[in-house]
Amino acid sequence: MASLGSFLLLLTFVVAAYAAAASVAGARRRNNRLIESGIGAFYTVAALMTVASGVIIYSFVAGDYSIRYVQRYSDSVQPLFYRITSYWGGLDGSVMFWVFLLSLFGSVAVKVNRERLRELIPYVVAIVSVVEMFFIFLMVIHNNPFDTYLTQSPTDGRGLNPLLQNFYMAIHPPTMYLGFVGLTIPFAFGLSALITGHLDDSWLRAVRRWTMFSWFFLSLGLTLGMIWAYEELGWGGFWGWDPVENAGALPWFTATAFLHSVMVQERRGMLRVWNVTLVIVTFLLTIFGTFMTRSGVVQSVHAFGDDPALARLFMAFMGVVAVFSFSWLIYRLPLLKARHELDSWVSREAAFLANNWILLFSAFFVLFATMFPTITETINGERLTVGPPFFNRWMTPIGLSLLFLTGIGPLLAWRKSTVKNLAEQFLFPLVLALVTSGALVALGVRVWSSGICFALCALTFGTIAQEFWRGANVRRGMTGTDVVTAMIGLVGRNKRRYGGYIVHLGIVLMFLGFAGAGFKSDQQLLLKPGEEATVGSYVLKLDALRVTDDGQKQMVTAHVSVKGTDGKDLGKMYPAKWYYRKHEEEPTTEVGIRRSFAEDLYIVMPAFELQDQTASVEVHINPLVNWVWFGFGILAVGTGIALLPERALSFAMAPLPAHAATTAVLLLALLLAPALAYAQHVVDPKASQLQVFSSDVRDVTKKLACWCGGCSKLPVGECACGHCAMVKGEVTEMLKEGASNDAVLAHYTNPPAAHIDDAVHRGQSGNSLLSMPPAVGAGRLVYVVPVVLGLGGLFLAISLALRWSRRPVVAGAAGMLDEDDSLRSRLDDELRDLD
Amino acid sequence: MKHKAVKVGLTSLVLALSFGGLLYSTMGEATEYYKHVDEVMTQPTEWYGKKLQLHGYVVPDSIMWRKNSLEYKFKVQSNGQVVNATYTGVVPDTFKSDAEVVLKGTLSPDGLFTVSPNGVMAKCPSKYEAKPGNPTS
Repeated sequence: MASLGSFLLLLTFVVAAYAAAASVAGARRRNNRLIESGIGAFYTVAALMTVASGVIIYSFVAGDYSIRYVQRYSDSVQPLFYRITSYWGGLDGSVMFWVFLLSLFGSVAVKVNRERLRELIPYVVAIVSVVEMFFIFLMVIHNNPFDTYLTQSPTDGRGLNPLLQNFYMAIHPPTMYLGFVGLTIPFAFGLSALITGHLDDSWLRAVRRWTMFSWFFLSLGLTLGMIWAYEELGWGGFWGWDPVENAGALPWFTATAFLHSVMVQERRGMLRVWNVTLVIVTFLLTIFGTFMTRSGVVQSVHAFGDDPALARLFMAFMGVVAVFSFSWLIYRLPLLKARHELDSWVSREAAFLANNWILLFSAFFVLFATMFPTITETINGERLTVGPPFFNRWMTPIGLSLLFLTGIGPLLAWRKSTVKNLAEQFLFPLVLALVTSGALVALGVRVWSSGICFALCALTFGTIAQEFWRGANVRRGMTGTDVVTAMIGLVGRNKRRYGGYIVHLGIVLMFLGFAGAGFKSDQQLLLKPGEEATVGSYVLKLDALRVTDDGQKQMVTAHVSVKGTDGKDLGKMYPAKWYYRKHEEEPTTEVGIRRSFAEDLYIVMPAFELQDQTASVEVHINPLVNWVWFGFGILAVGTGIALLPERALSFAMAPLPAHAATTAVLLLALLLAPALAYAQHVVDPKASQLQVFSSDVRDVTKKLACWCGGCSKLPVGECACGHCAMVKGEVTEMLKEGASNDAVLAHYTNPPAAHIDDAVHRGQSGNSLLSMPPAVGAGRLVYVVPVVLGLGGLFLAISLALRWSRRPVVAGAAGMLDEDDSLRSRLDDELRDLD
Repeated sequence: MKHKAVKVGLTSLVLALSFGGLLYSTMGEATEYYKHVDEVMTQPTEWYGKKLQLHGYVVPDSIMWRKNSLEYKFKVQSNGQVVNATYTGVVPDTFKSDAEVVLKGTLSPDGLFTVSPNGVMAKCPSKYEAKPGNPTS
């Protein structure tokens, strides 16, 4: 298997080299057969890499420990899911995963654009093939995932570190790679456009969806990384300006700039040099990012390790790419002259230009600060680092100015905004921002930086709301429908623009979450059993320190009950420390988090004393942090809308019957409202205790509701309190003696008079002990009423919907268009955007 | 054309100078020296009071933890030089004997290295693993 894998890599290298050579030769000699051959070879690379991926995954699943990579990251007890995801768990495999993704993306990009961009395709094939060749070269020469043990192969693997055996570890690297690798495609098209001289907008249109797709996955990867850090690492924050975090953020800045900057080129033929530069820089930063994490050039808690040879290879590659790309750029400068000049600083072009500068500056600043230790070491041998306070001091004003631009960008007109424009556009958002500022001042909120952030959030929110409102009103005028239908039609007609606004809304919410960090607090406490401790608006009490075991790990869990300072019961939290059998010196900390949109209560238990039953905890209060995750969700929806092909939702573009869309939205809301299930990442400490009792016992006891008085009346089969353990014990005995389920239940609902007051029965009896009432007499109501209500409600909703969907008479819509100038200019805008 | 070049050049110069100046002033307090324990302890007087990122290995069995608190005292060594460290707070899960650590903090004249909050970053002995260190917040 291993030799097959290595052979496949070598073969892929050769085929990729052929693809590159044939494509370039074919393009230069205008020989179609050579070009076709090159494209065929390019597709073959994708096929070969798929097979190679299959080989390594097979080796993992089958447990072929003669392969060092498999032995390192897997073992015989590793769950199947983590065996498969170990493919990208180590350096060697992750490089192969990179090539695999690149070959797939490249093939799709070529297939889709083959007819539309005939002149560019050969060079696209060549460029992507060369990048593939570099990474395959790295593997073959340096880190081959198929390397085997030369002498005796071990019989079992070392296993993936349990710290890494969680959902986020499986999902975060692939999403990051989807983002990074995806950004190679726009680069390939951009550089091909430079080489062939075909520098019209066609290459931009081809790469638009690729860039959005990659940008989305990069954003997702970064957010998943943040969530992972927040939930798993236990330091209470989600971004530490660690070099590897920064490496992922660098291409994000320039890709964001590129996504916006293309709009200016499409509309006004300006910023063309910017666009090619941004696409080249973005690609270089993706390579740089992967270089930083693997070469040991910077110290990081994430870093793969020290590898100077690898570092040199990467630097050589980046050097060659940079020189090659920028040389072509300089050569083609005459073709990249802008069609128009900047007419005024109060224009949308100027806002985009400022956006470009700020984002580019952010990327270079973060790069500089991250590489600072290496730079200072080279200069005078002294290795100096800068930490998060430094990053935050700079990035906070930068972030706020970006938020400001997000707010005012859509309000500025193209070319030049007149005073009248400005007054009309800025009124509502500014008023909203001022009102918010007033409220903040009244509440005593700090001006820098949270106060300003909130005010800017209000400004941007006002802008977005205004855009939607005005757009919907224009559409209402045209189609005569109600507001909601108009809004859906509006978004459907201009997915890119309004999808983009929804993304901005997501960003506003994320900034809201970031601003909350300015009010966070943390405290270290010693919790003694039964004692109460007050932190913020919470009162914490350590009920118990329990030790449980599930075969794979031993878990020490603190049962902490939380109450508000007003005495209201807020539930329980279970911070814990887990000790895995095979990795006992590396315990993992399980954080307890109580989430709400207002704030998070976050408890970590780094130390405990079993004999005294005490726990030393660090308690964090993180206001508004959930808005970050929620905001990202909105961002995802917006990106999804923007990515939809033009003809999707075409029904929304036609004038709909009035109220149809409204009804649809209402029905959807009704259906989705109860579905909000929230999974908290805390292992239920009760879960491990269930294994002690057999499933028969559990089935019977699930029909009883716990009556110990302390818990929330869970079914006895699921409750882990001591009382229920006693009940379950009794039931086990009864079942062993052959009692039927009904007899067992009767024993508790109708206990023998002698035992009614003992510890098990506690004086309780009757049908109230059952978790579900029996289906006789009044009990039947419980089963019947919900069904009746549900069906009746559904019937009512459907009949109302039908009634509202009846088409009303739409009076002379056409006549309205001539009267309103603003209407006409808005129409112009919309039609122009309808690419 | 020349007028435009002058404008661009002048603006760039002003921007560069101002950013340079800002950078210089903000970096003063924010920079930390990355040093190994032996580099520092051979000439400790030079490093008193300076913000350091100290790299070394936890001396086996030297981690002392005060019961019912989050206070730790331990020794860190590299190349034969040893320094005493003290820290109050959460330590990463990988912090144990022989762990490779980077400690953010300052060395005081009595030879004790005080680690700042969330300043213990520990690495696993093995290559490439995402280590749950404690980056500073």
